This record gives sequence, structure tokens and C-alpha cells, in this order.
Amino acid sequence: MRNFLTLWARELAACFLSPVAYVLMVVFLAVTSATFVLEVVQNPVVDQPLTVSLCEAIVVWLTILVTVVCMRLFAEEKRSGTLETLMTVPVTETQIVLGKYAGALSFLLLVTFPVVLTLLLLVVVSPVLQLSDIDGGALLSGGLILVMVSSLLVAVGLLVSLLTRNQIIAAICCFCAVWCVLLFGWIVTLISGGGITATYVTVTDHIRDFSRGIVDTRPLVLYVAGSALSLFAAVRVLESRRWR
Amino acid sequence: MIVEVQNLTKRYHGKAAVDDISFDVKPREIVGFLGPNGAGKTTTMQILAGFLPATGGSVKVAGFDVFSHSLEVRRRIGYLPENVPLYTDMRVCEYLRFRGRLKGLGGARLRSRVSAVLEDGGLTDVHRQIIGSLSRGFRQRVGLADSLLAEPELLILDEPTVGLDPNQIRQIRNLIRSLGDRHTVLLASHILHEVEMVCNRVLIINRGQIVASDSPGKLVGLLRGNRRVVAVLRGGTPENVQRLLTAVPAVVNVSCEPQGEWLLCTCESQKNSDICEDVFRVVAANGWTLRELREERRNLEDVFAEVTAEDTGNGLPLNGGMAS
Repeated sequence: MRNFLTLWARELAACFLSPVAYVLMVVFLAVTSATFVLEVVQNPVVDQPLTVSLCEAIVVWLTILVTVVCMRLFAEEKRSGTLETLMTVPVTETQIVLGKYAGALSFLLLVTFPVVLTLLLLVVVSPVLQLSDIDGGALLSGGLILVMVSSLLVAVGLLVSLLTRNQIIAAICCFCAVWCVLLFGWIVTLISGGGITATYVTVTDHIRDFSRGIVDTRPLVLYVAGSALSLFAAVRVLESRRWR
Repeated sequence: MIVEVQNLTKRYHGKAAVDDISFDVKPREIVGFLGPNGAGKTTTMQILAGFLPATGGSVKVAGFDVFSHSLEVRRRIGYLPENVPLYTDMRVCEYLRFRGRLKGLGGARLRSRVSAVLEDGGLTDVHRQIIGSLSRGFRQRVGLADSLLAEPELLILDEPTVGLDPNQIRQIRNLIRSLGDRHTVLLASHILHEVEMVCNRVLIINRGQIVASDSPGKLVGLLRGNRRVVAVLRGGTPENVQRLLTAVPAVVNVSCEPQGEWLLCTCESQKNSDICEDVFRVVAANGWTLRELREERRNLEDVFAEVTAEDTGNGLPLNGGMAS
């Protein structure tokens, strides 16, 4: 547990030790807020809760954020050789993977959280919107699904980062993998022609439902299981270098 | 034995990087690990540190198998990889604290160990600096300080003095020598002089095989070829000096060259005989003036050149200490 916390703290600190983190924060906040505000301003009569527009805007840009955060996780350590020093101290592969995962995920959530404030800003500047127009429950459940989706995407990104030492390759593969996860339901629909399975695994549908305030526990199980599976695979890949 | 390596083999894509090597290291021994580039030194060290798996054979550190008890082994070693990989975005003290925590140190012990290794490594003045802004020499010392943090039983140092200036090399050499009291050290190096000065025993590896293993002095003694004694004297004619010196038992060849008013005489003797004393007696008996009498020492460099030469095909002539 202590090793996990040490690695988590190091990973989170590493994000903030480079200027990339601050650029990412500002750019992500700017583009996500702009996407959300434009969506709301351009379609004023569409009967869609603000929380849905907000969560959708966040998810679109989250794909790039996840890519940038995950591409360096292991690829950087492999390239610089620090993986060698990390793997020769008494820490287990599970602790390394979980520490890095927790660090990356917490950084991602820290960057994403301020975007919610855009909603409040919109209420302040809009002549027609009231604070009471925002459904607190929907905002919370929207936040929940975003945390869930983020944890799955980071787990997948971490696994991809583990497979290469080149950050560019890691970034490209990570971006593709993240979009594959988001469009998984759509791919299933294409192959199987729709049906009940496709609805269970369509991430965009889950986001829409949750950000309306409809909490369904089945997708939560999917995200937790998916993250666990990716992390398990990552631990095994990292371990494999001890017996390959 | 702190390190027991039995029939260790490592193959990359069918090609053997390390081919069936065996050696032991006793506690408190400083063992120099020598070999040309690509001989298998780094691979062996990475296997010992538990970073690479072996293709065959067994490796034990402090009685624990590096494969099946990897964590136990890693608790007992301090490993400094060849290129000294460090987190260049951290400060020196932050990095050492981070590494100390991972090695199981905490609280007051962590603080005292960090300040001790900062002092040992000569890093006290730069402990607040960001590692990325340090020179190669200082980074090397940060890596060495890191390997010493948890006071490991076995230190595995892969080329610890590469990129250092002569003064820094001397400091590191003294540090390593002083480590021999408390730690067992396995040291890979290219600088033969350094190994000769620091190590109790030398392992020379070439093309994945151990070609020599003994103390530096014994290895030099095992070298083929004659010993040479040089005497600079005056008082006799070259012919006379040459005749009288050749008469000394065990001397096989003498050459005399005039150098100004002095004569430079080089006497070759059979391998295991010390003729200095005999030469001196001849000089004294004839009343010649002697300015200099020295044995031309062959060093580890000669041993290294002899056992790693590509085309000598001399097999394993220097495996004197394999049993130790």
C-alpha cells in the first residue's frame, strides 16, 4: 500500500512538474467550454438538459486528453531507462501499474473538474437561465459516468503505453484505442445488426442517460470490469518481461 | 556465498549473449567484471538485478533465486544501471526520498540515510537542484547514492565512472573501496587501472564466456611470456656487462644499449623467477654504479588484451581462480 501511494504521488507530481500539464489544463478548459457554450447558444430551443451537452462536450475532448496523459506513462519510462531502476527495487508489478493508473486518473479528473464551472458561468451571464434550471442530481450522475468512462479510457491507454517505447506510436495507438472503446457499441451494432448487446456497451448512450439523471448500475459494472481487465492485462504484460 | 551463478545462459533471438557461465562472489568481496563491449557484462548484471530473465541456469543472491524470489533479491541489492536513468524533473533530495520509500525506508531512517548518501556521494551542495540541470558526473553520483540508500548487501554497479573527470573518478574509486567494508560489490568497468586498484578479484568475460577469474595480481602472474628487469648502470663495457649478466641463472636474454654515459640493460628471465636480486649482486660485485633497477610490470591491460584478443584462440589459459 505504501509503495502504491509513493508511486501515485510521484506520478501525479510528474504531471505537474512539466509545463505540459498547465498547457493541457488551459487548452482543455478553453476548448471544452467553447464547445459546450457554442452547442447551447446555437441550439437554444432543443429540449436537452444542459448537463447532457456539457458531458458530451467533455467526452469528445477527453479522448485527446487521455491520449496525451497516457502516451508517456510507460513509453517514457522505457525510453529513458527508468523502468530498469523501477523494476529493480522491491515493488511489485501490480503496485507499479496501479500507482501509475491512479496518478494519471487523478490528474485527468483534476483537469476535467473545472469545466463544470462553465455551467455556473453560463447561468451567471445568461439572461434566461436560473441556477434552479440545473438539475443537481443529473450533474452528479453525469459526473459519475464521466469518472467511470475516464477510468476505463485511462486503463486502456495505460495498457497501450506499455506495449511500446515510442511515445508517438503510443499516442496514435492510444487515440485509436480510446475511440474504439467509445464507438464499441456502434461497432457491435454494425456487426450484429443491433440488439440488446449493443445497447449494453454503447458508451455514448450511457453518457446521455446518466447526464439526464438516469442511473443504471449495469454500465457501472461494465466500466469497473473493463478497467479491471485492462489493468490486469497491463500487470501481466509488465510481468512478462521477467519470464520472456 | 552472496552470489551464486550456475550455468547461466541468456539468448536473444537464438544468439547467446551469455553462454553457460558460472561464478561465485563471497561476502565483502569487490569483484571487477571486465570485458569488451558486447561481451555480456550488462546482460549478466541485469539478470542478477532481476530485470532480465535468464534463458537457462540458476542465479542466486544471498541464497534467494532471482527468478522465483525476485522481491527478496531486490530488497538485498543496490543496482546502478549503465546509463544512470533518473527522473530528470525531480530535485536530487526528492528523488532520493522517493527511491528510499520504494526501498522500504521511512521516517527518521529515511531522513538519515538520505543525508548520509548525499554526503557520501558529495551531493550535499546540489541536493536542491533539479537532476536535469546537473552535469553527467553529478548524475552518476546521484545514481550511486541511490544504489547505496537501503544499505544493500550486494551492490551491482555497471560502469560507475563513465563520463567522470579524473578527480571525480578518484573520489568514486575511494568511495567504492570504502564500501568493501560493509557491502559486496560487483563492478563492471572499462577502466582497467581502476579495477586493478579497487577489486579483490577480476572476472573477464568475452563473447558470453568467462575467460579469466582471479585476483588482479595473480592474473598478471599467469600471463604468458618472460619477465623483464631493467638496470641502468655505468662502469663496465657493454660486452662485459652483457656477458656477466647472461651468466646469471634464469636469465635467458640480455641486451645493453648505451645512453650517454649510462648503459641501459634489459634482462629477460623465465616466467616465475625474480632476478632483481641476482642482477644487483652482479652489479655490486663488479663495482658498477647503479642508477635504476626495476621490473617492467605487466598489468591487467595486458591480461585483458591477451584473453580477449580475437584471433589468439588461446581458450581459457587464465582460469586460475575459478574454484574459489
